[in-house]
Order: sequence, then C-alpha cells, then structure tokens
Amino acid sequence: MESRFLGLAYLAPYIIGLLVFTMIPFLASLYLSFTDYNLMSRPVWTGLENFRDLLSDRTFKRSLNVTLIYVFLTVPLKLVFALFIAVILNYRLRAIGFFRTAYYVPSILGGSIAVAVLWRYIFADTGLVNMVLVTIGLDPVNWFGDPVNALFTITLLRTWQFGSAMVIFLAALQSVDKSLYEAAAIDGAGKWHSFFFITLPLITPVIFFNLIMQMVQAFQEFNGPYVITGGGPLRSTYLLPLYIYDEAFKNFNMGYASAIAWVLFVIIMVLTVAAFWSSKKWVYYAGDKRS
Amino acid sequence: MRLLTTTILTGLLASAAQADTLRMSWWGGDARHAQTQEALNYCGPKHGHDIQAEFTGWSGHQERITTQIAGRTEADIMQINWPWLPLFSPDGTGFADLYEYDHIIDLSQFTEAQLAGGEVAGKLNGIPVSTTGRVYFFNKTTFERAGLDVPTTWQDVIDAAPVLRAELGPDYYPFEAAGLNAIFLVSMAVTQATGKDLIDPETTTVAWTEEELLDGIRFYQSLVEAGAIREWRQVAGEGNIELFEMRPWSDGRIAGTYEWDSAYAKYADPLGGDQVLVPVPMLMTEGAVTEATYSKPSMLFSISRNSDHPEAAAEIINCLLNDPEAIEILTDSRGVPASKVAFGLLNENDLINPNVAAANAIVLDGTGPVVSSFNEHPRVRDAFRDNLEGVAYGIISAEDAAADIISSIDRALRQFR
Repeated sequence: MESRFLGLAYLAPYIIGLLVFTMIPFLASLYLSFTDYNLMSRPVWTGLENFRDLLSDRTFKRSLNVTLIYVFLTVPLKLVFALFIAVILNYRLRAIGFFRTAYYVPSILGGSIAVAVLWRYIFADTGLVNMVLVTIGLDPVNWFGDPVNALFTITLLRTWQFGSAMVIFLAALQSVDKSLYEAAAIDGAGKWHSFFFITLPLITPVIFFNLIMQMVQAFQEFNGPYVITGGGPLRSTYLLPLYIYDEAFKNFNMGYASAIAWVLFVIIMVLTVAAFWSSKKWVYYAGDKRS
Repeated sequence: MRLLTTTILTGLLASAAQADTLRMSWWGGDARHAQTQEALNYCGPKHGHDIQAEFTGWSGHQERITTQIAGRTEADIMQINWPWLPLFSPDGTGFADLYEYDHIIDLSQFTEAQLAGGEVAGKLNGIPVSTTGRVYFFNKTTFERAGLDVPTTWQDVIDAAPVLRAELGPDYYPFEAAGLNAIFLVSMAVTQATGKDLIDPETTTVAWTEEELLDGIRFYQSLVEAGAIREWRQVAGEGNIELFEMRPWSDGRIAGTYEWDSAYAKYADPLGGDQVLVPVPMLMTEGAVTEATYSKPSMLFSISRNSDHPEAAAEIINCLLNDPEAIEILTDSRGVPASKVAFGLLNENDLINPNVAAANAIVLDGTGPVVSSFNEHPRVRDAFRDNLEGVAYGIISAEDAAADIISSIDRALRQFR
C-alpha cells in the first residue's frame, strides 16, 4: 500500500465508526425532528410543528426545568468534591495508590444499571441509609417519595461518580511547578493562600475542561433516574433524556423525540459557548499573551 | 467411496437446511422464564430447530420490542401484549398473518372469540395464550394472624385496616394501590358505578363524565383516608420497583393487591414462610351495576412479519400451545391456557395451581363492559397517572384531575378516530 494511504487505512475504522454510529444518526435525527414519524411507517414532513408543540408542552417544560436544576446542582458539587479529594490524594500518604484506585472505582461502576439498582435499595424506605438513621435515633427520610429528596438522591449518585474528574484534577495538581510553592512559602504565604493564589489559577484550564465534560454528561443522564425513580414522583426526576426515550419508544413519536433531542443539543451548545466566552476572564494559560 | 461421501454430505446439508435458528422473546417472572426455556428445549429439538431465548421482566419490554420492530431485528416468535396490537399493527400487517399457517398451527383448539381477540383487520396477528383479567389477591395468612377472614367487600377492606395495625403492627395494610393499580382501582370504581368502559367504542372518546370520574377518584381517596392503602408518597419511597419486589409485600405487611390472574406466581412466590395468597371474587362498591371485571386476551404469541422462517416459528408456537409434553412443562406459567387441549390436559392431571384456576374462573365468570385496548395506551396511562399522583400529593384537586384526565385522553385518542 502506498504510504500516503497508510495513515488513512489506520484511521478508517474510526472514521467509518464515526460516520455510521454518530454522523448518520445525528443527521437522521435532525431530519426526523421536522417529521411525524411513528417508527412503523414512513416519516411525514411537518416542518416546525414539533418545535411549535414543544412551546405548549407542560411535560417538556417540567422536564427541562428539572434537567436544568439537576445540571446546575450536580456539576458544581461534583467538581468541588473531585477537586477536594484530588487535593487530599496529592499528599504523600501511606497506601496512596490504593486510595486513588478506590476513589476512582465508583466512576467506572457509577453509570451501570447494577449500581443504580444498589442505590435504589440503599435509599429505599426500608433501605440501609434509613436503617442507619433510625439506629442513631433520627427519623427515617422518604428519599424517593419526596420530590425534592428524590432529585437530591439522583444528584448524589452522579456526584459519587467523581473519579474521572478527580484523576484529571490530580494530574493537573501534580504538574504545578513546586518552586512556586517554595517561593510563596518564603514570602510567608500559608497553605490556603498557596492553594487559592497558586494552585487554583494554574489548574483553571483543567477546571474548565472538567466543567464542560461534566456538564455535557449531566445533560445526558439516563440510567440513574430511569432505574431508581422512573422519573417520579411528580416527574421530579424526569430528566429530558427520559422524556426523549418515552416519546420515542413508548409513545411511538420519534419525530417529536428528535425535536426534544435537538433542543437539548442547542441548550448544551449555548451553555458550552457561554462557558468558552467566560473562560477568557477566568482561565489562565501559561504563556498566553492575554494573561 | 466418492458416492458414499457425496451421499453423506448431501444428507447433512439437507438436514442443516431444515434446522432453522429461531429467536423467541417474552417477558415474565422467574417461573415463566424457567418453564418456557424448558419447553423450548423440548419443542426445538422435536422440530429440528435451534431456538434462542430472549426474556426480560415486564418493565421496559415494550420499549425493547418497539426498538427491535423499528429496526427489523425483532425475534421470530414474540410474546405480545394485547393492547400493543393497534400500536404495532394498525392495519393488521405489523405481524405475520397466522391464518396463513393454519396447516401448521391447530387453530381448532381455540374458540372464534379467542381468535377474534388476536385479529386486526381480519388478519390473525397473534394467538391469545390465555384470557386474563384483574383479580383481587389477599394474603390469607396475614388476615388469619389478625383473627380476620379474607375480605369479600370493600367495607371488609376498610374495617380490616385498624384491626391489622392493632394486632400485627403499625405498618400493616390490607391492600396496596399506587401507580398503575391506582389507575385500575379508579377505573374499576367508575365502571362498577356506570357500567361503562373508559372508552366509548363508537366514538373513541372518553365515555365517562367528569362527575363519574370524580366519584372514582374520591373512592380511591377514601381508601387512603381510611388507612386501607398506603399513601402514594410512601409507596414511591420504595423506589421504582414493583410490589412483589418490595419487602413489605414479601413479609406480609401489605396484605392485598389487584393484579392479573396470570401473575399469581409472581406475587405468591416471593411470600416468605408458609404465607398463602388467595384470589377473591370482585369486591363491589356501593350501588355497583356491574362487577366491572377487567378481562382481555392475555399475552399473544405472534410471528414477526420479517421472519425468514415463519413456518418453523409456527411449528414452535403450535408445540408450545398444543403439544401435550410442552403443555405439561409450561403448565399455568402464562395463566390458565386458552387452548382446549392444554386446558383439558392440565385440568385432568391437576397441573393448574388451584389458586390460579380460581383466579381465572373469577375473570371468566365476571361481568362488565368490553374493555378497549386504548385503556392501556401509554398516553392514556400517563394522563391518569400524572393527575392521580397530583391529587395524592395535594398538588391539584380531584375536580381538576378529573377534568384534565378526560381532556388529555380525548386529545391523545384523536389520531385513532
């Protein structure tokens, strides 16, 4: 094979996968969002009707509201927690390798159905958490039956999966030049000052990266609420991906589901663009002439 | 030698061509899964076919089938829920027409009425495995421990609530109805009072008035207020699981439910110790004009219209429904069989659980209007569920809920008129 085609040959599996499993469904869903498509017969072009219907759809509004609350709760909580654990694991402690692995494991398991089922049993009315509360003399909490608690429980599951963000933070913390801390110490800076005025500014690119990644993932959350609460009670955990799923596969309304998916995509894009725009003001890149 | 080799190879190829690989999908509980796999292990080799079993619980099964049918990757043989027929096959072409395979499947084992239940536009889209219906089941052991008889009226249920709590503990309830069961309970109450099904078959609109539905919702509320059933909020506290998976059910603290007769094993099996679950005749509300028995063709066996081996699939279906050995393996795992030969054989050999037989007899002998399959349309269910939940949580009034349920269902069914 000629050398100029060799690189392309190596890339071919990825490119084919991207086209078949991402680009084609992506474009197909865009087309379907302008159609009435019930999965059993051919799509019928309806223009903007699906998007117009969304404006008066109570369930969509409720679901969008819940999704935004979920994302704005989950992402900061998860980032703060991941950074906190990363800072602790950055110290030279005994058996640090074990702890780093142990804290990373939930993020591998966290998205799985099995963990969601486990979570359901832990927080159930007669579950482990309430048993502990009763044992220490507190009243049991209705975690899934109360709309506010239910959303909090789902948020907690997502926050618990902080491992991947933590590992990235840990790598960033370890790349901070130690001489900066030594210089600050000579100038009389304490640990808090060093953290807020040296560590945090230097890892802002990684905070920014984690912010974008976690936000996109949070908008796509499905397994947790589907398995644990089924979107209830009162649709308090009925995130948009659940609504998309129900419209597509329960109500045979793939066109409408595609329209919701595209609205979700636009929301994620707008927030991502806003994050990029704001990053000019708070993200520090070493060697950047603006800074 | 060459002739011998050719003959052997030809023979092998011929038998390989006849040995089709089929897939069969169904939902159910553990007992049904085990018995169906065993029956397939019998029927497959008997007809020279290899059958791959695909089974799940009820939750999510419709979505799974929808995805498969849309992608034309559905199993050759499918267990289909009767209300799905108008969704998957509005003109009768969504599944293979089983009348075309009447030379393979012995349809004479089924009554015309049973087969009519599986027809869409004159095409036999599925064969009803049994007739099923909603039946009241009570945990006899719990009631006996409290010195009570099993309830036979709603007043018995209400009266039992304080006795159970006084005798056995504060977290004992005679009945459970939240989520789907709340919908069935409200529907039962309205149908008993009016004699009408939710959907008017002539107009495909809601047959009930707001006032009639309101009375049904108030009946449900009266059970909550009397402490006969747990509050919706409390049931939701168990998470997204079914009643039979809940600990209060398995240890007898929840002592009654309103379930499909064919689901007896699913609810009886988890009961710990020597607890006994029994069906009782329809509980009647005050002034009822009918029993309002919610009966329908149970699950159907259908063949995919995309199957490459429809005749082989028909052989397996016939085996599962009408073959004596398969019948003895499957027994009442899908309720009391509709097939005459299956029912006769099981009855003769006492292979039907007496409680399953009794539950099925309640369904078959029950009175009430013909049930529309639209009762189980996802949007109809959503309209009911959202509003009843809203009432249970005190978000909306029962009056507003009744009005919204009717308008939402009428809107959802507009496309089917």
